[in-house]
Amino acid sequence: MQVTINGQKETLQESAITVTQLLKIKNVDMPDMVSVELNGSILERANFETTPINDGDDIEFLYFMGGGVR
Amino acid sequence: MKFETKAIHSGFSHDPKTGATALPIYQTAAFAHDSAEAISDVFQGRKFGYIYTRISNPTVTAFEARVTQLENGLGTVAFSTGMAAIAAAVYTLVQQGEHIVSSRSLFGGTLHLFEDLKRFGISVTYVDATDVNAIKEAITPQTRLVFMETIANPKLDVPDFKAISEITKAHNIPLVVDATVTTPFSFDAKGHGVSIVIHSATKYMGLGGTTLGGTLTDLGTFSWKNTLTESVKEMLKKVGPEFAFLAKVRKQNVTNAGNNLAPMNAFLLQLGLETLSLRFEKHCSNALALAKALEANKHVASVQYLGLESHKNHALAKKQYAHFSGLLTLRLGSKEACFKFMNALKLVKNLANLGDSKTLAIHTASTIYNDCTPQERELAGVYDDLIRVSVGLEHPDDIIADFAQALEQIGG
Repeated sequence: MQVTINGQKETLQESAITVTQLLKIKNVDMPDMVSVELNGSILERANFETTPINDGDDIEFLYFMGGGVR
Repeated sequence: MKFETKAIHSGFSHDPKTGATALPIYQTAAFAHDSAEAISDVFQGRKFGYIYTRISNPTVTAFEARVTQLENGLGTVAFSTGMAAIAAAVYTLVQQGEHIVSSRSLFGGTLHLFEDLKRFGISVTYVDATDVNAIKEAITPQTRLVFMETIANPKLDVPDFKAISEITKAHNIPLVVDATVTTPFSFDAKGHGVSIVIHSATKYMGLGGTTLGGTLTDLGTFSWKNTLTESVKEMLKKVGPEFAFLAKVRKQNVTNAGNNLAPMNAFLLQLGLETLSLRFEKHCSNALALAKALEANKHVASVQYLGLESHKNHALAKKQYAHFSGLLTLRLGSKEACFKFMNALKLVKNLANLGDSKTLAIHTASTIYNDCTPQERELAGVYDDLIRVSVGLEHPDDIIADFAQALEQIGG
């Protein structure tokens, strides 16, 4: 499926994955400290395991503890 | 992994680039990036990276991560000093027109900080930390936090954290605790319902009274989703409920106010953590030995140490803390006696600090609390004839001998 991650269009091999799986696939830095914004809304960490990523989704990985803070 | 192991391996175990097993000291003001896109991504928070040491620094990040693991918390922000960490908690959680409920037997520095909040339209109600009902009664719709210390310095009050955390939870406000005197080794803040735990790392975490630093850890026990604090509410949409408080603390107090911990200090404090458990056990066994010797000394009117079964807070301290700390007080009957005693000490150092490897003593009424009113001193448990002692790591025989010879000089 096609998704946008941090402003970049990407094609994922998988057709059905959760946010948790996406973090692993993208080998995201510091997964314990990353916030995830899905289609403009910040997700609660407790929901990472159960929230699906769908075709056309817009995902932002955000770090507030390290570098910049929005 | 047990505490002692985490203290050596968490946050940093070895440098993957060079194999160095000691934490590199990134003594740098700022960090270069490979491209304009990369640095912009880091500024926007889209990419994990470093910009400027006032915001964050890898040496400091490693220290923060180790403290987070030792407290079993969600995240830690490090500060230049313990007072900066306390100030950060307060400046983040409370604004004009709002209110704090605090223990009244506070460390002098904290008391002065809280008193100055009046200028900003923030009011504080001071209550007996050991009176759970009084704490409950003091909370108003404007209260934004309850502040306690694990062991009141120097009054040795011990709050009942399980009881207090139930009250703060019911009122949807965080319980903020200064656990400097007990350290993460001796007090399981998370297990006792504490929301935010603060340490002056300068004291027991650091080695030999050399290095100033402070830590503020969000234990992940308080749900920020429905927070009453406006400044944290604003962060919910930006970073989510889990990190909303920590993000605001970092942005406002470290990035904006510049109270960051220096990389060199982070290195030294990280190193200190490795032996915290060993050193703290020795501080505590020495303190008990000294307390017992002082109890038997004819020049001593009374000695206060939580490890003595005679102390009224002994049972609660034993229930909540694995060790009783190195903090004890003695009363010598008069200010004159105190000054004679202090001036006769040879080994023990006369200064304002805690947790040094050297045994320290100070007459608190004429120093730390000298500009407090008699009423403030009374509430803090500071008397004209009181000496506060921070028992060090010397051989207990030598500590006891120095106290004995100095007490002889009181005469009478």
